[in-house]
Amino acid sequence: MKILATYNIKGGVGKTASAVNLAHVAAGRGNRVLLWDLDPQGAATFYFRVKPKVKGGGEALLSGRRELADVIKGSDYDNLDIVPADFSYRHLDLMLDDAKKPLARLRKVLSGVADEYDYVFLDCAPSISLTSESVFRAADALLVPVIPTTLSIRTFDQLDAFVAENPDIVRKLKIMGFFSMADSRKRLHRELMDELREQRPELLPSQVPMDTDIERMGVHRQPVTAMFPKSRPARAYQSLWDDIVERL
Amino acid sequence: MSEFHRFVVDGIIDPAVTLAAFAEQVGLSENEAEEFDRRFFDTPDGRLHADQSTLEVRNSVEFPLMCSLVWLKGGQVLASARVESGFSPDFAGSLPAGPAFDRLRELVEMRRFLPVATVRSRLSTGGHLDAEEKTTARVHIDLPSLPDGRSLPALIEVRAVRGYEAETAGLLRAMRAHEAFEPSDLSTADFARAMVGASPYLPGKLSLQLDDRASADEVWRVVLRELHEAMTANFRGTVEDVDSEYLHDFRVAVRRTRSVLQEGRGVLTPAARDHFRDGFKWLGDITTPTRDADVHLLDYPNMIAALSPEYAEALAPLHELLLSRQRSCQAQLALDLRSTRRAQLGAEWAEFLSGEGPWMDRSSGESGDAAEADRRARDVAAERIERAHSRLVRDGRTIDGSSEPEALHDLRKDAKRLRYLLECFGSLFPAEDLSVAVKPLKSLQDVLGEFQDTEVQAHALAQFGRQLDTEGASTDTILAMGGAIEQLSVRQSRARREFAARFESFDSREVEHAYASITGTGTTKSKKRKKKNR
Ligand SMILES: Nc1ncnc2c1ncn2[C@@H]1O[C@H](COP(=O)(O)OP(=O)(O)OP(=O)(O)O)[C@@H](O)[C@H]1O
Ligand SMILES: [Mg+2]
Repeated sequence: MKILATYNIKGGVGKTASAVNLAHVAAGRGNRVLLWDLDPQGAATFYFRVKPKVKGGGEALLSGRRELADVIKGSDYDNLDIVPADFSYRHLDLMLDDAKKPLARLRKVLSGVADEYDYVFLDCAPSISLTSESVFRAADALLVPVIPTTLSIRTFDQLDAFVAENPDIVRKLKIMGFFSMADSRKRLHRELMDELREQRPELLPSQVPMDTDIERMGVHRQPVTAMFPKSRPARAYQSLWDDIVERL
Repeated sequence: MSEFHRFVVDGIIDPAVTLAAFAEQVGLSENEAEEFDRRFFDTPDGRLHADQSTLEVRNSVEFPLMCSLVWLKGGQVLASARVESGFSPDFAGSLPAGPAFDRLRELVEMRRFLPVATVRSRLSTGGHLDAEEKTTARVHIDLPSLPDGRSLPALIEVRAVRGYEAETAGLLRAMRAHEAFEPSDLSTADFARAMVGASPYLPGKLSLQLDDRASADEVWRVVLRELHEAMTANFRGTVEDVDSEYLHDFRVAVRRTRSVLQEGRGVLTPAARDHFRDGFKWLGDITTPTRDADVHLLDYPNMIAALSPEYAEALAPLHELLLSRQRSCQAQLALDLRSTRRAQLGAEWAEFLSGEGPWMDRSSGESGDAAEADRRARDVAAERIERAHSRLVRDGRTIDGSSEPEALHDLRKDAKRLRYLLECFGSLFPAEDLSVAVKPLKSLQDVLGEFQDTEVQAHALAQFGRQLDTEGASTDTILAMGGAIEQLSVRQSRARREFAARFESFDSREVEHAYASITGTGTTKSKKRKKKNR
């Protein structure tokens, strides 16, 4: 079982869109996939029409009082299951702080379903906090969407700095950055992307374009890869998934 | 994942009408129905059937070139891929790549897929939705018919989406209450097989339920008859080499038969015992070269997986050699199995098992030859198990780091003897004792088997290497074979190291108690427990 987390310090960069669509693509390839929506806002949960509620809340899961397997909900797609968001997740930091070995907690909880899934996606809220640190510890790879603007590129630098300063936390974590909401009609985007690819050759070759079909996910409450599987953004997520598998 | 519920749709009304009315009543959303020609496949021993899943190649009737291979369970697609029209899977290797089909590969192992039924189905999938239009249950409807037009029972399958079992309970209640719906264990493939009178799947494990009050003579014969059935069931597939497991299972039945004959001292007449022990030894021996060749081929993928890719490629000539050896051994085996000697053995054995012919005459031998025949089978079997167990324990305890490999090979035979006794006569004894007795024995046998097999295989590889060398194989091939032999010797040393721990768990108090309880010697655990309670 591989654990992949979509992560960026900054909000609104396409973390949830990536987690939802990549999870759907991975499941479509025959992998057994679990998506855990760790963001109390519950955007991923909403896209799958699942109720944002976990019996006993995040506390029950983290304390081990409730097995993760007991709160899993099947999605409308084969091989793709969801752990819903819960309002209590906004106190996840405090809950972790109270727990024994907070950084190892998340991985421990996930180990209960290790036989059932090939891939787990964690969709995180934007921040650097105890929660994200324990996500870093649990995950095999961080999927980091980057909007090609000067500002978001700086957030990528911040993540690098964090990784450099905390080798004990990140350990074997692979960091996979990729462009999100890329608008190749904008000259600024194109130039920034060229420049950044030169600086960071490790960026994944595929990129997710700016596309209104992705916004429409909120209306249809479906992954774009399910709604319009042949569309440009759907194909982008498919080839992004190929890139990720290659790096794992 | 979550289980499914299957119903057949009965009654005098057209099932399609019944189903449409039901869908309306409970509010099912339904996708368009689509017609498919479906060819179902299963292994000779029905592994998919046992798994409650089915594998089919389906062609859309409307788009006949749209052809896919689909692995289904209760309507849920476990794996699917587009295939060429006319495709038929044979071995696991012919399945499409990918993690979903990997799970099917694990299930079928070395068995071959055989066509089991052909059906035309009208399929549709619907959903039971909640207020958010989230699917809480999947409903699959199948209206099937045979190629000759005869209709098969219509099926409706319901599977709660994980985490929505409570929401689905009402739907299931409505289905159970519906007069036209009958719960069913059978799939469309099963119904089609039954309609065309297909032969049953091969039996898996021995499923003897022996009568613990019966006489030794009776029980021995029941066991031998059951083994005879296994041999017969696997005979044709062995001759025709459908897959390697037929021969494997055939050999197991032969070896068990030999063992039961061996343990039949005093139960069977010496004349019969000697005659058939010879006969089945011969039958076992003629199957050995082919089995060895099969084992080399089955192990080949593991062998190359352990080597670096360029070496793996260099081993191709070895693979060719193994294939051609298997073919020639198999051809000889087929001849031997069709020989008059084999036919005569078969006829005599059938006569013996039916209780007729000269083999039954207990009076013809010296008196006392079959003195144990009328004793209770349970007592006789218990004594034999006790003897085999104490011998294994005694011999095993003498083995240490300095023992010769021969000592371990001999121990393997001791262990086999005990295992066969437990397999063939185990049902005469309490199941819980039996499982405690068998588990550590099996794990001990695994390591003894690995120890010997790796040695035998290394010898064979060395021989093949010399042969390939004289035939002018490349240096890379010879080096790669050296690497493979090295791997085997690493595995053998590992087995040797593991032996002590495995034997220790076998030679433990708890296991000894289980054997004591089976054989009726010493204080058993259950007796002790009772004493305590008093
Ligand atoms: N490639 C894209 N093209 C157009 N719109 C997009 C794209 N990716 C995401 N969006 C839209 O941008 C918004 C934010 O995206 P998303 O929720 O995926 O980001 P996020 O990083 O998860 O945000 P948050 O930090 O709030 O969790 C959403 O409305 C989404 O529909
Ligand atoms: Mg988000």
